[in-house]
Amino acid sequence: MPKLTRFKVTIETGDVGMDEPVHFNINSHKVPFEDVRGSAQAGQTFEGGFEINSFAHSLTLVGPETGQWNIKKLKVDLDLEGAEPYSVTFGEVALDETNEVNIWRDPPVPVFEV
Amino acid sequence: MASILEKLKSMFGPGEETGSSAQIVTETPATAVSSQESAPVSEPTPTPPAPASPPPMEELAPTPMMRTVIQAPVVSDAADLPDSEEILIRAQPSPTGDQCVFRINRPLFPGHSWFFKDFESAEGSPLAEVIFTNDEVETLLVHEQSFTITRYDQNNFEWEKFAREIGAVVRETLQEGGPVLKESIVRDMPDEEKIREDIQKVIDLEVNPGVAGHGGQITLTGIQGNTINIQMGGGCQGCSSADLTLKVGIHNAFRKAVPFVGAIYDETDHAAGLNPYFS
Repeated sequence: MPKLTRFKVTIETGDVGMDEPVHFNINSHKVPFEDVRGSAQAGQTFEGGFEINSFAHSLTLVGPETGQWNIKKLKVDLDLEGAEPYSVTFGEVALDETNEVNIWRDPPVPVFEV
Repeated sequence: MASILEKLKSMFGPGEETGSSAQIVTETPATAVSSQESAPVSEPTPTPPAPASPPPMEELAPTPMMRTVIQAPVVSDAADLPDSEEILIRAQPSPTGDQCVFRINRPLFPGHSWFFKDFESAEGSPLAEVIFTNDEVETLLVHEQSFTITRYDQNNFEWEKFAREIGAVVRETLQEGGPVLKESIVRDMPDEEKIREDIQKVIDLEVNPGVAGHGGQITLTGIQGNTINIQMGGGCQGCSSADLTLKVGIHNAFRKAVPFVGAIYDETDHAAGLNPYFS
């Protein structure tokens, strides 16, 4: 598994937002985002990132401790050591105190026109 | 022995001569019987101290909640093709290099899929016939707007030259505008409910009894047309042999019992949970 240098999320909240700080989970360690902009309230866009500089075995976005958080769109920019940066965009997902959503995707495999 | 039993009976009194008390006598260790024997018969049997009552719930530390890891749909993918009048074909070898997916901006078999296990099975399906003219092709799976090829040489990870040859013959066939698959495949396709029932029967009667020996379980999670989605649970989840079980055992069982089955996808997250088999 390649080393994750840094990553950034851009989260568009749908009709149900939340007020809590946004956390992610890396290798089962719950961490708040850095360089935060915007908010996770309904209709708003949240941006945050983190310098990981380690090997990610799991990377998830954690649901709020109370209430629900309806995410409309979630873009993750991943920067791996020795590889081209890449982005993954996820669709709608509803988070709460019982769940967290996987935001890790392996680097895309080469694609060519034939 | 008879005298010991008499003494014990007298200790409990005639009213307590029940099945449960008899069970106590027979299960009492020899040393305990001996100590009871020496005790005066009139004395009541000392009762063991009552176990300490558990602390009230509010004094216990809260148990951290275990969250479920869920998957969100990916809405953008580098392999997606733009709209175009021109026939576009994009090849994407799998990360393991054992197969290559070709995506086309044209429908091949809308709502369904079809598996060609060999050259002979391609007869009458123009797209499959031209693909199987390449001697390297082992199997072909057509699914909606894509097809997937495996090759005989599983150790050859160089796909680009091969993929260009395949792309050229497929484009030529599509430009001719005729049918892609044999008419009977489309015409005789059973309805989804019939396929669901038949697959469930295979899972219940053949597949699950087979994997149960390893603590495994297969669940039919969805069916679209003749495309099957399954999940591997229990001992199968995360097992290093799950891929072999799927491709050799489950695929063969499904296709033998239900010949109209097309693609079979494993939805299992083999790394999820607290105790995937391989961890």
